[in-house]
Amino acid sequence: MAEFRQVEQAGVERRAMLKGTLGAAAMMGLQACAPAARTERPATMMAPGRKTALVPIRITRDQLIDVKCCIRPLRAAGPNLGSDVVGDTLVIHNYGHGGSGWSLSWGSADIAVGKALSVLPREIAVVGCGIIGLTSAVMAQRAGLKVTLYARESIQQTRSFRASGSFTPDSRVALTDPAGPAFGDVWERMARFSWKAFRTYLGLPGHPVEFNDSYQLSDTPITRRVWPADPAITQSFATSGRPRQNSEFGHYSDRIRDIVPQAQPLSDEENPFPVAHARRSSHMIFNFASYAHVMLGEFFERGGQFVMKDFYSPADYAALAEKVVINCTGYAARDLWQDKTVIPVRGQTGWLVPQPEAFYSVRYRNVSLTSKRDGIVVMNTNPDLGEMLGVGDSMELPNVADIEQGLEILSPLFSPPVVERS
Amino acid sequence: MIQRAAPLLAATVVALIVIAATPAPVSTRDGVYTAAQAADGARLYAAQCAMCHGRMLEGTFEIPGLGDRFIAQWSNAPLSNLHDYLGRAMPQFAPGSLSPGNNSKIIAFLLQANGLPGGSTALPADPAALSRVMVQPADPRLTAGAVPRTQ
Ligand SMILES: Cc1cc2nc3c(=O)[nH]c(=O)nc-3n(C[C@H](O)[C@H](O)[C@H](O)COP(=O)(O)OP(=O)(O)OC[C@H]3O[C@@H](n4cnc5c(N)ncnc54)[C@H](O)[C@@H]3O)c2cc1C
Ligand code: HEC
Repeated sequence: MAEFRQVEQAGVERRAMLKGTLGAAAMMGLQACAPAARTERPATMMAPGRKTALVPIRITRDQLIDVKCCIRPLRAAGPNLGSDVVGDTLVIHNYGHGGSGWSLSWGSADIAVGKALSVLPREIAVVGCGIIGLTSAVMAQRAGLKVTLYARESIQQTRSFRASGSFTPDSRVALTDPAGPAFGDVWERMARFSWKAFRTYLGLPGHPVEFNDSYQLSDTPITRRVWPADPAITQSFATSGRPRQNSEFGHYSDRIRDIVPQAQPLSDEENPFPVAHARRSSHMIFNFASYAHVMLGEFFERGGQFVMKDFYSPADYAALAEKVVINCTGYAARDLWQDKTVIPVRGQTGWLVPQPEAFYSVRYRNVSLTSKRDGIVVMNTNPDLGEMLGVGDSMELPNVADIEQGLEILSPLFSPPVVERS
Repeated sequence: MIQRAAPLLAATVVALIVIAATPAPVSTRDGVYTAAQAADGARLYAAQCAMCHGRMLEGTFEIPGLGDRFIAQWSNAPLSNLHDYLGRAMPQFAPGSLSPGNNSKIIAFLLQANGLPGGSTALPADPAALSRVMVQPADPRLTAGAVPRTQ
């Protein structure tokens, strides 16, 4: 019945560390903090080959405080960064970032703002205040432009706030064939630029961007899943307007392996979880609350104006006072700009009460937990569907049972550990 | 109103005087380089500049790209400024190592890559002639919609 033992030390309550196979090292770590063992190695300096001390994540149903559903704007050829002229107004597009909008936001804004600058405007409009619009607006201000943001809602109420919040720059961002071979270079440019831009937020108060450890866990040896084309599936995006199998999706992340930490296998001795196989990687995460606060702060500090406005058709863009407009309307561009190459990809996230003391992420049997300061994100995906999950599905209401099932699946990881008795 | 108009008027007068004193300026929109120059320039760029400014002129977070932003930056000024700058400051690891003629070729390539048309006259290399070419970005009306949408 040992459960998680509560340990009182120096007025700080610490929950005993995750046990299972992890106990000994964790307990040793705790003891190292005790006054009697002051000279010993502190818990935070585990030697290589030793277990990492982890506080278990509480994943009981009562911790689930929100479930959000969202549509990823997958655009077959990749994000639209082209332009249109409507009346006397130049509209530069910046929408259709699939499951990679946060991750590519800076690089994409850099390209769009560059295009805006090329007509030498002094002021511009940005339509849309999700992550893409807000970043484009700030980027334009940094280039010295006066910016007015027009949107139906501010970022906190957009789809961007219904994402999960990791650096996932090639998640359903394009389909290989329609995007063509040239897209890889554009993608790489956006990804590298964004990575550097996000690094400038590390260590700021409120932790808008940070890294944590992510554990990929499995009962069987971990391999990279590949999805060869299934010849039995004869339809494709080309024939039917949406992808029909995983092999149609573009993958580009190998291009930036040199900067993005890759997963390392953990030996049995190092693996803190009661699961046979584990890999650990460092991953970049976005704290939505804090990040939006920082971005809106910069936008208004630089004199930006926000105007709540609904656009019904492209003609509304020409009616704006600003003659250069960056269009960042995300999935809504499918209807507003009649771009039917934008394909809805439904996804949903459960949110557990934040547990900053358990600051790490886990993926096991296709359920992921991402511990962030704005909450612990739970995603339950279907192992057999891969990137096809949610494709073509624009039902944007959450299904709580899926998230509850995800918590069930993960429960053995954090089940009451054995704690040594002293 | 009057306060705003005064500097504008002064600028116009100055511009008129300049125009009167020299041959009419041409714009980078008028086809100021040849295709052969741009092709040579592309080779020079690949060897001397691409390692920093990127194969697609994209730059990095730290090094300026030589695309839209760059053209905006140098616009409404004579092309001699840019030619002079390249001759003094670039390539950064060996400033001044390229001949004026080669710098003109690189500029021809940069103009071409930024959607500005070529023509039948070669871009000169001497400062006086270059000072009569005004930098202007490509007209977006010619390229909007026509550009591949992921570009
Ligand atoms: C479950 C899920 C998880 C995800 N996880 C990640 C992740 O971990 N990392 C990552 O990088 N990406 C992730 N994404 C993808 C990411 O959420 C999107 O790519 C991103 O939010 C797109 O941002 P956006 O600014 O283009 O669109 P939106 O956030 O939808 O913003 C659109 C803006 O336009 C405005 N607007 C729209 N139509 C109109 C109109 N007619 N008139 C006026 N205003 C209008 C809206 O009000 C809003 O302000 C995830 C997506 C989902 C669904
Ligand atoms: C070693 C890296 C490096 C190389 C090689 C290099 N540059 Fe640069 N370049 C820079 C940096 C850095 C800047 C920014 C100015 C500064 O920091 O002094 C710059 C600035 C410029 C600018 C001004 C950009 C602007 O927006 O105002 C131009 C134009 C330019 N370089 C052209 C070239 C050309 C042409 C070549 C090849 C002949 C070249 N550069 C080679 C690093 C380099």
